Amino acid sequence: MSTAAAEIPVHPPAYAVRSRALPPVDTTSPLSDHELMIAVRDGELDAMGELFERHHGPLFGYLTKLTGNRTAAEDILQNVFQRMLKYRHTYRDEGSFTAWMYHLGRRCSSDYFRKANAAPLPVDPVDLEDRADEGRGVDEAAAANDDQALLRRALDRLDRDDREVLLLSRLQELSFAEVANILECSVGAARVRAHRALRALRDHYFQLQKESPT
Amino acid sequence: MNCTQFHDQMAALADGSLDEKAAPPLRAHLATCPSCQREFASLSRTLEKLDALPARPPSHRMRATLAGMIETEKLTQRHQAGWASSIRQAAARPPRRRSWLAPLLQVLGAAAVLAFGFFLGERNANQRQLAELRARVDTMGQLVEQSVLQKRTDGDRLETVLNATAVTSPKPDERLIDGLINTMAFDPSVNVRLNALTGLYAHADQEVVRAGVLACLPREGNPLVQVSMIDFLVAAHAREAGPVLRKLAADDKADTDVRESARRASELL
Repeated sequence: MSTAAAEIPVHPPAYAVRSRALPPVDTTSPLSDHELMIAVRDGELDAMGELFERHHGPLFGYLTKLTGNRTAAEDILQNVFQRMLKYRHTYRDEGSFTAWMYHLGRRCSSDYFRKANAAPLPVDPVDLEDRADEGRGVDEAAAANDDQALLRRALDRLDRDDREVLLLSRLQELSFAEVANILECSVGAARVRAHRALRALRDHYFQLQKESPT
Repeated sequence: MNCTQFHDQMAALADGSLDEKAAPPLRAHLATCPSCQREFASLSRTLEKLDALPARPPSHRMRATLAGMIETEKLTQRHQAGWASSIRQAAARPPRRRSWLAPLLQVLGAAAVLAFGFFLGERNANQRQLAELRARVDTMGQLVEQSVLQKRTDGDRLETVLNATAVTSPKPDERLIDGLINTMAFDPSVNVRLNALTGLYAHADQEVVRAGVLACLPREGNPLVQVSMIDFLVAAHAREAGPVLRKLAADDKADTDVRESARRASELL
């Protein structure tokens, strides 16, 4: 065997199982998220496709704002759905699917931040592109983009915990009680933390506006 | 209500989480205090901008990734069900009645087997093990070929390829490798092609495997598989891939990710 072969990874690479369109889901009688997750738990794994369609958009938006890194957000999103499949038996009959999903999202993003702190990730050129042209066309929304860039920078300046509680509190799918449950604190504490984070964001944002040359 | 009391609850009023009964005194103060109006407006504007912050959807590959995860989980489920069924059957089997003669026969049988083992010697035993392994690999190679030729469902073909990649043999089997290369080249499912490629990692030291991947790279239509093939060639240190990679990197019609991967790979090699 050559020396080249000795360096070949023993485990299959991460892309090993991918592709294919998602299997069709019967939409004649739409089921609730909870019913779909119960079905997944009971072995009807294709129902996860419908849950993905319903929730990946808001979850991805949340993760992108939380990490400030689109590639990292995709990785975390993938991990969340992978854990949902893997740990489906832990989903409880009386559970709230959305709260469970964001709870897993929190775990996965904590893993990401732990690794990122250990070895800071290089800036992804894709993120720079996103930040430059996200939203409307460049010509008609240059000012809006600048403003959004400022707000994103202000978000980045928040402590991670503050950013997390603020972003969770702005999700329409979650009540403050559910946010508190996800953060494992009381409703009052979650509310106080979210409001403190909002004020901090406002201060950073206006400070950046003052520092901005235009 | 004074300004300090208003400030304490201003954020709750702005984000709508305030109890409706507590809102009227706050609104009354707000209507009369210009300083608090400015504070409240800045907080509300920050919230509006935060909510309006656009987020583009994730890459279209996420769907494909999830589909792959679901398929893999289904396979695991099927395998686990198979094991569970075997264990249940074994547990449900009624115990056989044993006579006083049985232990004696067992001892005599064991002695006979021991004597026979000594007679055959260690060399024969090793040859027998190798022959069994060889037969298993041959069968797997046939299965890979048949699976592709018979055009069974994606899941079935995927299962066959996954089983084939799980076979470890001291000596690589040509038929198995050919089956995996053919599958990687011609299978209609991206998922199956990717797994066949993964199976070929174990045989990447063979020239025929590297040549097969290199030949398939330009004609592969899926960017995900192409990037994976490029990763393979880098991992296998396939220096002969340089010209093909450079050509791919310069191809305007190729996917951006593929071109970028090809460029990086050609530099690495």
